[in-house]
Formats: sequence, C-alpha cells, structure tokens
Amino acid sequence: MSILVFLEHHGNALEKGALGALSKAATLDSEVAGVVVGEGVRGLAAGAGEFGAARVYVADDPALAAPLPQPRVDVLARLVTEKSFDTVLLAGSVLAADVAGGLAARLDAGLNWDLVDVLSEGGAIVGKRPALGDSVYVDVGWTAEPRIALLRSGAFEPRAGGGQAEVEEVSVELEEFSTGARMLEQAHEESEGPSIEDADVIVAGGRGLGQPENFALVEELAKALGGAVAATRAVVDAGWYPYASQVGQTGKTISPKLYVGCGISGAIQHKVGMQSSGVIVAINKDPNAPIFDFCDLGVVGDLHAIVPKLTELVLARRAA
Amino acid sequence: MTVKPSDFPPPFRAAEFVAAPTDPEDERIEVGVLVVGAGPAGLACAIRLGQLLEGAPRIAERLGDVPIAVLEKGKSPGSHLLSGAVVDPRGLRRLFRGRKALEEMPFYGPVEHESVYFLTPRGAMRIPTPPTMRNKHNYVASLSELGRWLAGEAEAGGATVLPETAAEQLLVEGGRVRGVRTGDKGRGRESQELANFEPGADIVARVTVLAEGTQGHLTGVALSHFGLSGENPQVWALGVKEVWKVARPLDRVIHTMGWPLRAGARFREFGGSFIYPMGGDMVTVGLVVGLDYRDTELSVHDLLQELKTHRLVRRILEGGERVAWGAKTIPEGGFVAVPERLHAPGLLIAGDGAGLVNVPALKGIHYAIESGALAADAVFRSLQPGEAPGRAGALASYDDAIKQSFIWSDLKRVRNMRQAFGRGFYLGGMLAGAMTASRGAFPPGNAKTERDADHALLRTDRSKSYPTPDGKLTFDKLSSVYLSGNRSRDDAPDHLRLQRRVPRELAEMWARMCPAHVYEVGEGDGEVTVEVTPSNCVQCGAITAKGGRLTPPEGGSGPEYRLT
Repeated sequence: MSILVFLEHHGNALEKGALGALSKAATLDSEVAGVVVGEGVRGLAAGAGEFGAARVYVADDPALAAPLPQPRVDVLARLVTEKSFDTVLLAGSVLAADVAGGLAARLDAGLNWDLVDVLSEGGAIVGKRPALGDSVYVDVGWTAEPRIALLRSGAFEPRAGGGQAEVEEVSVELEEFSTGARMLEQAHEESEGPSIEDADVIVAGGRGLGQPENFALVEELAKALGGAVAATRAVVDAGWYPYASQVGQTGKTISPKLYVGCGISGAIQHKVGMQSSGVIVAINKDPNAPIFDFCDLGVVGDLHAIVPKLTELVLARRAA
Repeated sequence: MTVKPSDFPPPFRAAEFVAAPTDPEDERIEVGVLVVGAGPAGLACAIRLGQLLEGAPRIAERLGDVPIAVLEKGKSPGSHLLSGAVVDPRGLRRLFRGRKALEEMPFYGPVEHESVYFLTPRGAMRIPTPPTMRNKHNYVASLSELGRWLAGEAEAGGATVLPETAAEQLLVEGGRVRGVRTGDKGRGRESQELANFEPGADIVARVTVLAEGTQGHLTGVALSHFGLSGENPQVWALGVKEVWKVARPLDRVIHTMGWPLRAGARFREFGGSFIYPMGGDMVTVGLVVGLDYRDTELSVHDLLQELKTHRLVRRILEGGERVAWGAKTIPEGGFVAVPERLHAPGLLIAGDGAGLVNVPALKGIHYAIESGALAADAVFRSLQPGEAPGRAGALASYDDAIKQSFIWSDLKRVRNMRQAFGRGFYLGGMLAGAMTASRGAFPPGNAKTERDADHALLRTDRSKSYPTPDGKLTFDKLSSVYLSGNRSRDDAPDHLRLQRRVPRELAEMWARMCPAHVYEVGEGDGEVTVEVTPSNCVQCGAITAKGGRLTPPEGGSGPEYRLT
C-alpha cells in the first residue's frame, strides 16, 4: 500500500489535523508520503518526517498562494496518477473537503468522509464512520483504487517520533479551468488567547452560570489556567457569548487536554463537541446532570463559590 | 380562570403566504406539473403521471424540459417522513399495476401475528383484535425508507425531485394557482441576509398538487384562501416513536390501549401504542395521543418513556439499543373533517393534507398513495387538448374520483368513531363497537368536532410518574432530538408563530407537549414569557393544533429521519 497525505498548512505551520492524519497513516503498515501545496512552503516539508512521512512532495508556486481547492486538485491528481498512490488521506477542514470532492470527481475515485478511524485489514483499508446521529459506527470500504478518505476534524492526534523525510519538488502544471477563481479577501476572526480548537485547556460555561455577567468567573479561571473559553448552545442562543465559542453539534469540536465545564448539564448536543477531551471536570449543582456520567472529576456544588476559589488556588500555585 | 389555547391565537394570516409571481417572467422556473412534498401522496402522483405521460409523448412535450417536479423541504426524500407503519398494500398494488412486485419494495415482511392489549400499570390483558385493526395481508415498513424508494421510482419515471426546498408562498394570479414561491436560504435570526444568502424563486406550473402531509403549510393557506374547508375543523394526534435494535426478534404486531393514558372523560386522552417488528433485529415502538387532551403536564414523549417501563414493553427492548427517534402529528378528524372541495383552479390537495386517514384502522398511507394517483389522473385529463387546468372546475373530476374510491367508503364507515372517544374510553369503546357492527349506519348523521385548541386546560400531577431518563431504556428530549438527525442552524429565522406572553398554564402545556424541547417557560407567575429554541424543532406540527402555527423553516433543516 502507498498512502498520500494532504498536508494543509496555515501561515508558517502545518495544520495539527494534517499531522494527525500523517501519524495515523504511519500506523497502517505502508509507504507514507505527504504533499505540501502553496507558495514559499519548501521549509515546511522536512518537519513532516517527524510525524511519519518517509517522503514529502512539495508543490511550490506563486499560483498556489491562495488556499483555493481546484489548483490543489490538479497537483494531487497528477501525483496520485504518476506515483501510483492507492490511498489519499485528508484531514477534515473546509479546504480539504473541497479538495477531496474535486479529487474524487477528477480521478473517478470513491470517497468516504467523516471517518473517525482507518484500519488496515488484510491489505484492504476499512474506515469507521459514525451514522444515525453518532449512535452507531459503520465500517466503510472502497471497491476500487485509488481510495480517498476524508477524516473527521480532530480525529487523530499528531505523534512525533518518526525520522527524516526525503523532500522532492514536483512541477506545477495547472489546468486552465482550475485557475478561474481568485481569492479576493481572507478574513480572520480576532480573538485573544488561543483558539478553542487549539487550546490545551478549555473552561466552558453553560446556563448554570445564571446570568451573562457570570461569564467573568469562567474567563478568570481560563486566564489563570492559560486556556480558552467555550460556551454551550443555550448561552450562545441567549446572546451571553459569541457563536465562535460554541462547542457541540452545531458549533466547534474540541479536544483539549483539560476541559472544565461550569454550570453545564452535558446534553448530547454539547457532549459530541467535547467528549474526546483528555480530562473532563464538571462543576454543577444538579447531581442528576448527564455530564456526571462521562466526566473524570465531578463536583456537585455551587459554581459561584467554587470557581472563584479554584481560580485563586491556581493563581497561588502559579505564583509559588 | 380557565385557559384555552385558542384564546391566544398566533400572529399568522394566511394572506401573508398568498402572492402573485414577482420574479420577471424569464427568471421564473417553469415546470409542467408541480408536486409539493415528497411523501407517499406526492410521489405516487409523480409516479402515476410519469406512467401516463409515457403513453402520451405529445402532452409530455408540451410540459417542457421539466414535466414533473417534486419539491421536498427535507434534506432528502424521507427525511421528514415518519409513521408506524403497517401498510395496507392496496394503494401500492394499484399504483404499480404489476410493474413492481411487493417483494421489490422496502418492506419488513407481512404481518404474521397480532395482539391487542389493554394495559394497567402492572398488568396487560389481551383483548380480541377489533375488526378495524386487523392487519392480515398488511406489511410492516419504515415510511422514511419507503419514501426514499418511491422517490427513486418517481425519478426513474421522469420526475425531478428537488430536496432542501421549502414551498413558502402560494402563487395565485387571476383566481388560479400558478405555482409556489420557495423559501429564502441564508437569512440570519433577524431575517438579515447572510454571506450565503440565496433568495427563493417563483416556480410556475400548469397544475400544482399539494401533498404536504399533516399540517401542510400551503394546504392550510389554500383551504382558507379558496374557502375549501368542510363543516368540521381538522383535529390531530401526536405520535412519538423510537426504533430499537433488539436482542431477540419480535414475532408479531402489538397494539396497546389504556395505561399510561387515563380513561376519564374529562381528561380527553385518546390514543394507544404500537410495537412492530422490523426484520429480525429491529423493533419500533411508539405512542399516539389525541391533541384534544387538556392536561398541561401531558407529554407524549415522556409517556412513551413511561410506557417502555411496563413489563410487556421492557421485556421486548431489554438489552437492546435505541437507534432512531422522531415525532409527527396525524390528522384524526376523518370523514367529517375532509375539506368540502379538494380542488381549486390550478390546484389539487392529496394525502394527509386532505385528512385522508382512517383512525380506527390506524392507516392513511394507502389513501395517500391512492389519492396521489387519482390526482395524477385528474391532472392528466386537464392537460388534454382543448382543456385547461386553470379553468374553474377543470380539476373537479378529482373530487368525484375520490368519492368513488375505496378511500371514501372506508372513511364513511368509521366517520364518527374518533369523536365518540371524546366521551371517554369506555363509552367511546362501546359506541365504536356499535358503529363497526352497523358498518357506520349507527348512529346516523355526522358527529360535531371541536378544534384541539378549544379545550380548556386543566392540571394534574401526572409528570410525577414520568421516569427519570437513564440513558438506556428511557431518554430525555434533547438526546432524542439529537438522534433524529436534526442539526438545524442555530441562527436561522424563527419559523414558529405563537404568542410569547401567555398565562403560565399555556406556556407549560406547550413546553410539555413539544417532544423536541423547543419551548421553555420563563420566570414568574400569572403571565410569563415563552422562550423558544426553533433549531430543536422536528416539525411535528403539534403547535399548530394547540394554538400556534408552524411555518416551513429554511429548506434542508429539521430532522433527517432514515428508519422511522
């Protein structure tokens, strides 16, 4: 088997999700290569070796500067055909979803998406995909090669510990129909501190806070822990906190090392966005709240007393 | 002071949803025949039309590039379909006339055995199956799956199915229906245009067939605009059901009456449960309760959870896993609530939207299919040379065909049964027996119906007996909504019309009634604010029966049913 992993980058770093996909590919007992596409991206390639790539292809060209999907489809389609890759993995993102769809159409290949695991079974690759509202997992396969797999965002952690990657430049030839789109503007949401998808520590607030002003308690604890603030749908709906912080089914999916939920009941709509967090701590006054069924540490009590005290203790420990 | 939901009418006028086409003529989407709703009625209509046009190429040609279009508000055909369901195959047999065998359709097999029980909190008494409920020769199906399959057949027959498209306005010009305007997409909570805004479009057609199902939005608008309603108002029941993967196969179809509903006439609690086998490893269980009930604490979802704790049901589900959940209303007015006319110039109404449901038999899918096919016949007749579907009366043959069909004779025979149960379970049961024995002749005449929202509310403490969800056998509303596949955008405009400052009793009734946790009761006594979370809505339609009004949200939103 030979696997090609699409290494999406942002600014001067490879995306965490792409490196996670690479690490996963490295466990599949096959030749693993990555491909970086963009302008001025040569320097990024070598770093992928550490996460399991034996070889990294670099398509570096001013025409590839904007993160548009079609030129990337051109690069990947050519690589897959010329180097006879039988599998292409992409980590879920807006760009990767576009590229995966375009590539499947171009190569007349099968695409399985939203995969949360990929296994090698007797030379065949089997994907696991949640179905029926994540209540069951189904095995999915491909009837022909190349196989294209789009992985669920945040499904795999990058694992360092690999070796050196050989870097190989590839020539860039774009189809005429792929160069029609231009990037007019790219806007980024301004925010302080780490984004909630990347933060190692998340402190989240729910309706149990009582009123919007009490989000200050959550913010102070997050600051003390060096983390970011997240919110549930109910409080975002009520206008207490911006949508960008919403975690759950219709918000973001996070997997911090530490998650602290304050006044959050743990309804399934929120749970699906944070259940893969490392350590889950819950503070809620309702002992029947569902979150106590899946947290690692649960505190039944008044968050208005507990959270400020916790912040104080964290700050004291930090100062010491 | 007694509170009636109908004393707090929703801010809704049918006239808001009737308009002349506004798009310039060359920008309108022109189709031949427009069907609204990819359910059994609409798809049967499309399939029959396809068959008829196959033999009439000159008429088909005159209908343009898209001779038959079917609009569907759900993500895909079947996404918003939910029923028991035990299907009487008559409608399907007549629709396909041997072109497809029943074995090719997505059924879970014929009904082999059936039992009816009267439940008490701890007991289950097997009672003889009432004649109207006998299911020999009928088939178990998931309506969602059947709808998906029918959509494939309709497309193979030349129809174009347009999913994720809500029909929002009825286009009327010069007294005749010209088509529909579809809903905008990409609007924010305050109706502002977001980056992905897409305006709706005028879809114009020679004939429009409304097959929107229970609580059809434009059906309601058309009934009032053209004055088509019958002598009695429509009434509804709310059904909530789950699909379970189970350890042991179930070998029969089960219906229950009695507990957890109460027999007392003053409660007006009419309904029952169904438990059907779906192949070797799945079972569906559901509870249906008439929406003329009065108790502010009544919650069909929680009653279903309570029902599952009964020994009879628990034994079937034990060791299993819940894989689907959903809710939907059912029109229960029957014969006397069917609109006076089912046609207007350029317009036909079919299926549940017309109220074609046999309540004592718990069936309507075969009527939906038959009425859809009869609508297609009438449309085809009106497209013949020298005829014009927009002419007043050109589509009247549809009403005649319905009245000569088995739909009409079936419904007439059971016409007063549902109303009888408004007098309590025991008296209702006796009257129903007499009606069956006399094949509908006794009692003579037609019973009167009151609107569901006209019944004064009362309060009991029945919520005390609702089980605390354990996440294994019993579940809360939010995790159920999640399982429905609903992932509607949180910032879409609110599609629910209801008064937001109401007496506490009414707010509590709505909060309990809604199976999808859309309504919450604000602080205070006396008058309170109703907090609404529209993105939870699974579009069951209960709010329309009980004093509010459901309008179609953005196309593609709502539940994504697959097994219901």
